[in-house]
Amino acid sequence: MRASGGDAGAFRHLVREHSGLVYRVALRILGPQYAQDASQEAWIRAWRNIENFRGDSAFSTWLYRITVNTCLSARRKESRRKEREYSGDELPFLPEPPGVDGDPEAAALNTQQREELLAALEHVRTEHRAALVLRHMEGLSYAEIARILDVPEGTAKGWVSRGRAAMLVAVTEQRYDDRETGERAT
Amino acid sequence: MMPADDRRWEILEKVGAYAAGELEGEEAREVERLMYERPDHRRLAESYARMLVMLDTLGNEPVKVPSAVVGYAVRRAYVSAFMRNAETFIGALGRSYLNALVYYLGLRRESYAEPT
Repeated sequence: MRASGGDAGAFRHLVREHSGLVYRVALRILGPQYAQDASQEAWIRAWRNIENFRGDSAFSTWLYRITVNTCLSARRKESRRKEREYSGDELPFLPEPPGVDGDPEAAALNTQQREELLAALEHVRTEHRAALVLRHMEGLSYAEIARILDVPEGTAKGWVSRGRAAMLVAVTEQRYDDRETGERAT
Repeated sequence: MMPADDRRWEILEKVGAYAAGELEGEEAREVERLMYERPDHRRLAESYARMLVMLDTLGNEPVKVPSAVVGYAVRRAYVSAFMRNAETFIGALGRSYLNALVYYLGLRRESYAEPT
C-alpha cells in the first residue's frame, strides 16, 4: 500500500519478494531469450500503474496480470508462430521414461526432458500457452486465470484445454522428430 | 456430421480434461467408457498424466532471477520517484518565487474584509 503511494523503498521490497513470480512466468511463456526483457518491462509497468492498485484482488493476481499482458504483447510483436496441428491417424503417445517406477529421484526432470517441454511450449499458441502455464505450472484456479487473462471463465477453460492438447501433440511429435534425426545421423 | 479431425481433437481435449481431474459425472463416465473400449484412449490418458506431472515438476523447479532484473526495476523506480519529487519541489519553488515577485511589484492588491 505504501508502494501505491509512490514510495520507491516499499516498491523495492515488492520487487525483491515477487521477482521470482514475474521472471518464472515470463520464462515459461516467452522462453529464456526474452524472459529478462519482459520481466523488466513488467516491473516498469507495475511501477507506473501501482497507484491504481486498490487491493480489491491479491497483489500477486494483479502482478500476474501485468506480467502475462506484457508477455502477450511482446509475442504479438513477433510473427505469429503456428500451433502444431494434430494431423495423424493415431492418438499421440508419450512413453513412460525408463526407471521412474517407485523412484522419487526419477521424478525430477532431466535436462533433455526439460528442454523438450520448453521447446514444445513454443508450439502452443501464446494465449493457450499462457493459460496452460497459469493452470498447470502455477497451479491457479480457473477463476483466477479468467481474472488474469481478462476473459470469461469458460474461455479460460477452453484455452487451457486447447493448450494441453496442443502441448501433448508437440511433445510427442518432437520426440518422433528427434528419433528420426537420431536414426538418420547413425 | 463432425469431420474426423474435429472429432479426434475433441477426444484429445476430453481425455486431457479427464487426466487433469476436471471431469465429473456423466462426462467422466463417458471418457472411462472410451478408455475401457479403446487401448489407444487409455494410452492417451496415461500420456496426459505423464505430461502433467512433468509440467508440474517444471513449474515447481526454482528459477534463478538474474540480478539485472531486480536492479533495473528498483533503479527505475528510484529515478522515477526522484524525478517526481524534484518536479513537485521545483514547481512549488517556482510558484513561491512568482508569488513573491507579484507581491514585490505590487501587481496584486491584497483585500481584507473590513470587520463590521
